[in-house]
Amino acid sequence: LTALDFVLLQLLQHTHINLYRSTMAPFRTHNQQQNSRNAAGGPGLAMMPPIIHSSEGPVMAKADTIDHGVTEAPYERGFSPYEFNGGTTLAIAGPDYAVVAADTRLSSGYEILSRDVSKLHALTDRCVLGSAGCKTDVDQLRSVLDIKQKIYHHNHRKQMSTPSVAQMLGNTLYYKRFFPYYAFNVLGGVDAEGKGAVYSYDAIGSFERTPFSATGSGQAYIIPLLDNVIGHKNRADEKRELPAEEVVEIVKDAFVTAGERDIYTGDSVEIMVITAEGIQTTTFDLKRD
Amino acid sequence: MSILEYNGAAMIAMAGKDCVGIAADRRLGIQAQTVSTDFTKVFKMNDNIHVGLGGLATDVQTLHNVLKFRMGLYELREEREMTPQVFSHLLSTLLYEKRFGPYFVEPIVAGLDDKNKPFLSSMDLIGAPVQTKDFVVSGTCTGNLYGMCETLYKPDLEADALFETLAQALLASVDRDALSGWGGVVHIITKDGVTTRELKGRQD
Repeated sequence: LTALDFVLLQLLQHTHINLYRSTMAPFRTHNQQQNSRNAAGGPGLAMMPPIIHSSEGPVMAKADTIDHGVTEAPYERGFSPYEFNGGTTLAIAGPDYAVVAADTRLSSGYEILSRDVSKLHALTDRCVLGSAGCKTDVDQLRSVLDIKQKIYHHNHRKQMSTPSVAQMLGNTLYYKRFFPYYAFNVLGGVDAEGKGAVYSYDAIGSFERTPFSATGSGQAYIIPLLDNVIGHKNRADEKRELPAEEVVEIVKDAFVTAGERDIYTGDSVEIMVITAEGIQTTTFDLKRD
Repeated sequence: MSILEYNGAAMIAMAGKDCVGIAADRRLGIQAQTVSTDFTKVFKMNDNIHVGLGGLATDVQTLHNVLKFRMGLYELREEREMTPQVFSHLLSTLLYEKRFGPYFVEPIVAGLDDKNKPFLSSMDLIGAPVQTKDFVVSGTCTGNLYGMCETLYKPDLEADALFETLAQALLASVDRDALSGWGGVVHIITKDGVTTRELKGRQD
């Protein structure tokens, strides 16, 4: 064994230890690693500076360089491309109308970034998309859908019907199956026959037509209520058809509830009622705490 | 997988006009497998106090026995019945004694105090108590339960209306939770006695 072999053996051990460290401590940042190295009084016994194989032969790298995980085992820096900007959306289908509503708060962690940002976007005049999640992904998704909708309109000389928009949204989300849009969507509108239609989605494009749907941070507070009042579950009284005005009052109640218990929901609610005649928008104030 | 979600539970206690109600589901599971459909989680401690213990089933049963024992001791020494405030405080202390190896239970206490006024309290697994005037919830579907209670609750409900409110709130919430359900039981406590009713809901 030459002296060089001895050094190479040390490097192998050192890489192995580093790999172990990387897997066992996935949240250690680069700074922490640097500090722990310094805390050992320069390179410790098991820690040797990496060997760089240059054209002149193997050379020890300087001990105080930042390796960036190139010659040593790679380490995680804790960067996430996603952020949760909060909010709750809700959609209910009626016999000849659909109601889509969402709060208008934009948050980041414990901070409120804006009290007046819309989560609803009309894709056609018969169909509205409500999205909560990561605002930048939501904006990009809307952009993409708008463009596809324009192209369809250009090619077919008519607006997309709501079930077609639903399918397009599902496909668009699945297109990014392995780096998803962090968007929790709810689509509401009237279908080709004039009946109310609501579609619920997950982040990667699985969708289904449902009588109602709620997504976002406050969905757990709202969905059982809609099951009981709109779906008429576990009730002994007779089921009756609800007019649009009554459903709007139920939506307001639901958002007041979500606003009380969910920190990301509040400020105000934007409610859109979609009928065969078009879309009507109203706003309702919530607690701003 | 959280240890508090191992067996599954859902419970609510609500205050009415000179009465309280406490309701819980009946399921006992081992993660996804349901093992019993008549597991008791709400216990009568005396004529004025009911306690709901939601969480790890073994701790539910052990804590119930410990509480029975401690209540018995109190009644022997003091020669009087425990009030819900004292019971709640006792439970809080018991849980904190196990601060670094806790009982995996998040209890709710419902009762009528010595002036027949409603008393409600709930705690986390290490005994931090919270007293409210309207309702308390516990279990694996607290989001659902909070939403239902916040919407359906009105102050000063009479005993029958309180029963309906509790029943609807519980059933709607457990139907959206895989770990709770398989029916329910509701106790309404007034100064004249306790009325217990069983709920038939979705058996899944």
